[in-house]
Amino acid sequence: MSIVLPLDEEQRDALQELLNISMGQAANSLAQLIETKIDISIPKISAVTPTQLYGLLFETEGAFYTRQSFLGDVHGEVMSVLSQAGLTEVATLMDYEDPLSEEDIQEIILELCNILAGACLAGLSEQLELTTNLNMPTLFQPDKSNFDDLKWQHSLVMEVQFVIAISSFSMRVVFCLDDESLARMKNTLDELLA
Amino acid sequence: MFEQLVGKLPVGIGIVDEQFNVVYLNDFFLDRLPHDLRDCYKDTPVTDLFQGQAKFLKRRLKSVFVLQHPSFSYWEQRPHIFPFKSSRPITGEETQMYQNMEILPIKDKSSGQKLACIFLQDVTAQASYFRAQQKLSEALKKEHEAQRKLIRKLDTAQSQLIQAEKMASTGQLAAGIAHEINNPVGFVNANLNTLGQYASHLISICDGVYVQLEQFNNELKEQIDALFQSNHYDLLKEDITELIEESSDGLTRVKDIVENLKNFSLENTEGVQTVDVCTICNQLITLISAQYSAPHYKFECEHEKVEVMGNPGPLKQALMNVMINAAQAIETKGFVKLSVIEKGDSVVIKILDSGCGIPVKHRKRVFEPFFTTKPEGQGQGLGLSVAYTAIEQHQGKISISSKENKGTVVEITIPKQLSCLENESIDRELDSPLTP
Repeated sequence: MSIVLPLDEEQRDALQELLNISMGQAANSLAQLIETKIDISIPKISAVTPTQLYGLLFETEGAFYTRQSFLGDVHGEVMSVLSQAGLTEVATLMDYEDPLSEEDIQEIILELCNILAGACLAGLSEQLELTTNLNMPTLFQPDKSNFDDLKWQHSLVMEVQFVIAISSFSMRVVFCLDDESLARMKNTLDELLA
Repeated sequence: MFEQLVGKLPVGIGIVDEQFNVVYLNDFFLDRLPHDLRDCYKDTPVTDLFQGQAKFLKRRLKSVFVLQHPSFSYWEQRPHIFPFKSSRPITGEETQMYQNMEILPIKDKSSGQKLACIFLQDVTAQASYFRAQQKLSEALKKEHEAQRKLIRKLDTAQSQLIQAEKMASTGQLAAGIAHEINNPVGFVNANLNTLGQYASHLISICDGVYVQLEQFNNELKEQIDALFQSNHYDLLKEDITELIEESSDGLTRVKDIVENLKNFSLENTEGVQTVDVCTICNQLITLISAQYSAPHYKFECEHEKVEVMGNPGPLKQALMNVMINAAQAIETKGFVKLSVIEKGDSVVIKILDSGCGIPVKHRKRVFEPFFTTKPEGQGQGLGLSVAYTAIEQHQGKISISSKENKGTVVEITIPKQLSCLENESIDRELDSPLTP
């Protein structure tokens, strides 16, 4: 991506490290809850345009999407992409009984997102000493044309992928911050680095 | 003050400890608790108090305690977590309460004990509105679909009606015209024949006079000669025979047209009888191959004999017309294949040719009376209309599919037995023809 990242090298490294820690915590929480091993990817940090964001997230085949906003010291949205494959195994781990109804599947998706996004955000906020409150997640049917119409130009996205070891299930969680929150986070990072 | 406020809030607030034992319930919960439990609810597991969804509640509480992160549940996926009724037990609108739930991790400030706070929202109104909307939209969708089907049906019915009307009116018209024209054509034809004879007599008289011319005196000879000259006798003699011949040819053509029109209205007295389709087909191939020798003819049938109840005249005419078209579609090289297939209670006759095909723009009109692509005077555009009417009267179907420069298939399906009602009507139609 040729866009100049609004973070400098040091800030980026620091953020990546913080994310790594908080994602690890998130994975641990989930692992504890469903008693299975969870692998995480190295967090990716990049700046994207709305169209790029759409491509990054919503051109995945065989996936469910959710979004969830958060408020507090920083504002933004978490979007998650969940693979349809392997969901049944995860459901069993979460104590759901086969066969899954449409409502069960929706509930599992929402709960998974809530747990992972919540854990990531909580971890990150804690490291940065910010307070955040996550609102309830909702299922999301993205529409490309709507993304082309979005008002913002660039946004910082932090992306991490979770893979549940025993099934083919995987999930990507992407955080997006608004401009004001980005500035605030940069300040906090600077304070940490100083 | 805050305690009162929390107590009276129109949302359910309940607090449980790590063993899921109830620490606090506000009025929203208490009002809906059975009477015998109202005094002893404290330190009872919340999953004992509200048993319906105990498993789910336990799972969610555990998740909140482990993750220290809020958990959400919506009415869309799990409408009734707590077995509460929604208001109005008297006026009859009582239903199960639809609920949204949120569980938050909290900490007792003095003891540092981990607790979970359950918020319960009554969203019955919202849910029932949403459901009503959904039902409405489904009903609308269904209705819309039904309407679209109906419109499609109407469209087909209308075009069939137009086609049938066209056929019927043209049939009547044709019968009428045939009747009216046949009489004058008859006497004109007779008169023309007589006229031809008279003309030849007149010519012999004149020729006789001309031969005798030498025996007249000069004055008379000159006068007669001048008379011949001034009336252009040579030209007259030459032309008159040709004119009469041409007129007689024209009349034959008029007779042909009238004959076809009669066929079109299917005036035929043979009546319904058993007809062997195979025999008809073979006869037709012999007949048509004599006239059109370019195509190679094939006949295919699994049986020696395939019998249907029908009227042989119109049936033959219909097949003939279709076959002539097939034969004419082939100019130099190609084939015409006739196959007869028995299919349950019906017989399918397929006429396939490897000819020039029918252009798309003409395909819809081929059954229209008087629609032809042949040069004027060579076709009346009645062939397929006649076939259509005949097949229709046998309660059958005729359909054409064609590809330009590849060929055409005409498929005719007729039932082996005519149903009684139609049978009578065919007989009636065919027994009382208009006599020309």
